[in-house]
Amino acid sequence: MRRLGLPLIAVLLVVAVLGVQLAAGGAHYTPVRPANPCARRPVPPIPAQLEPLAEQIVLLGLDDAACRLGISRERLVLALANAHTVSPRSSAALKAGLGDAVDRLDRDHRLPKVSQLLPEALAASNLPGIAKTIIEAIPDGAVDNLLPTGPLLRRTVDELDVNRLLHELHDPNQLGSALQSAILQAALREIVDRLRP
Amino acid sequence: MGPSRGIPSSGPYAGRAGSVAALSVVVAVVLGDAGVVTLALPEILRDFGAQVWGVAWVLIAFNLVLALTAVPAARVCVRRDPAVSTAGGVLGFAAATTLCAVAPSLGVLIGARAVQAAGGAVVIVGSLELLVEATGSERSGARRWAAAGVAGAALGPVIGGLLTSAFSWRTIFVVQIPMVLPALPAMLALRNRVTRGRENPDTSPDRPHVLANLALALLSAALTAALFLLVLLLVDGWRTTPAVAALAVTAVPVAALAAGPVFRGLRAGTRSEAIAGSVMIAGGLAGLALLPGDELVWTLAPQVLIGLGLGLSIDSLTAAALRDRIPRALYGGWTIAARHAGVVVGLAILTPIFTADLRHAEAPTKEAIASLVLDAPLPASTKLDLAEQLGRRLSAERGRVPDLRPAFKSLRVPATDAPAAAALEHGLQDQLTRAATRAFRTAFLVAAGLALLALGPALALRDRISS
Repeated sequence: MRRLGLPLIAVLLVVAVLGVQLAAGGAHYTPVRPANPCARRPVPPIPAQLEPLAEQIVLLGLDDAACRLGISRERLVLALANAHTVSPRSSAALKAGLGDAVDRLDRDHRLPKVSQLLPEALAASNLPGIAKTIIEAIPDGAVDNLLPTGPLLRRTVDELDVNRLLHELHDPNQLGSALQSAILQAALREIVDRLRP
Repeated sequence: MGPSRGIPSSGPYAGRAGSVAALSVVVAVVLGDAGVVTLALPEILRDFGAQVWGVAWVLIAFNLVLALTAVPAARVCVRRDPAVSTAGGVLGFAAATTLCAVAPSLGVLIGARAVQAAGGAVVIVGSLELLVEATGSERSGARRWAAAGVAGAALGPVIGGLLTSAFSWRTIFVVQIPMVLPALPAMLALRNRVTRGRENPDTSPDRPHVLANLALALLSAALTAALFLLVLLLVDGWRTTPAVAALAVTAVPVAALAAGPVFRGLRAGTRSEAIAGSVMIAGGLAGLALLPGDELVWTLAPQVLIGLGLGLSIDSLTAAALRDRIPRALYGGWTIAARHAGVVVGLAILTPIFTADLRHAEAPTKEAIASLVLDAPLPASTKLDLAEQLGRRLSAERGRVPDLRPAFKSLRVPATDAPAAAALEHGLQDQLTRAATRAFRTAFLVAAGLALLALGPALALRDRISS
């Protein structure tokens, strides 16, 4: 019995230590695993500003694109950040993902109205002062009727040059102006199309 | 040891206590050298601008040469007066240690470490004979020798870490010289006192105790993980300062020294002590593989288990390997060879495992970091700016755990976003420590497996109740 006592004490001590560590989550102390990109994430409230809106569309679009490509959103982002050019497959997945993101937010009535975004867009644009004054004079209702946010953003996405956008990723200021310029261009075309008899 | 092989004492010895203390210190210093540079490796790497594999040889060279020269050194001690041989070994060790302290290049340092180990081998095996003579009892001398070795091996990384933090890695070698040289008079005072019966190593019918030495080798390989990997995890993985890491790992030597007083009262026998020690070391290593957080307190209980196991098993197995074997210096040499061969094998097995796991951890860690940055409640432009800088930090430290703090220091965020940025920084550091801790898991589990393998030879030992 005396000979068994010490090994028995050793086993009990080991069981106690390992038991406490496992109960405290020792087996699961690992880095977070990326979420399934195909599972719908809840969308937080979107302020009526261009940057948060663009960010939400990009986040949802990345999920959708990653789901289409069968990889995690994070792996897609890291691959895009390290790539000089995007493969046609990834580019198509990204465009489709961004388009689906706009459609989802539009369906869920989560998109702000263009009239709400207009002051910020005008302030950041390099339009002549007279043009800005004229646009600001247009009633909000007319602006929103002429330019519904969903179709405007859908058009922006369709006309987006993904490779150029990724190139601008390294400079947040350039990226912001590139996005605003893309939206303005899309807005002009949308207006022209809608005014065309 | 039987009466015909009784302790060869040629009469009472006046300076017994002082000699025993001096010899014990020398044994502890030499065996502590096996791991003393563990916490200094990053600084040595920086000083010489070397590669990681090159710096690892500062550790490997010492253990390898000690393993290879312990038995030949023992034969020298057996053929000549061990007091003279040991004194010669101390001089050689001190000279090589001086060279280590002033080494102008990594090559010189590694070469000096090899010479240091060769001198140390003579010191270690010769000190066994001298301690038996100085204590007047084979059992007491052998136990003192084994205990000094355990204390040195366990305290080595701690003291090395503290000296590196306080001064520089060169201090590790400087302080050893005044610790070993005072033992010279004690050694020379024992000249011609070790008498021998049948002590020709070539004609001795005794063979090394294979089971005890095998268990010692396996446990030493496993203990490499405890003393080497844990220190690396704390310093490189958790970004603990070497001084704090050194203090944190004192739990192992403290528990090792407490093992005797705590458990010897049970008089369980060498076999039971070796079995219990192996179980505790394996359990402690498994505990390090299953850490639930990066707080140092989580490492304490596993370290205490390892320390208790170390104190119980190394002592018992060394006693079993030496019992009734003459010449004892030769069989002491075999235990040293087994232990340090175990350390080298442990390093050879475990280093590739954890470095590969660290590399494999890179992709999931980057994904975890990307996930947190993407979902952080910060403006998109801030996130893009941060992602740029994080990317640079991650690529700059390939194969090592990066420090992300500089990326946040240079980040300009509005005051309203500062709490979110701070929370993100904390979250990212948490992901890194999780990844680093996870990367060491397999190596710790393999080490636990090595300790469990030692149960095989330990179970086959013939038991003897310790007194």
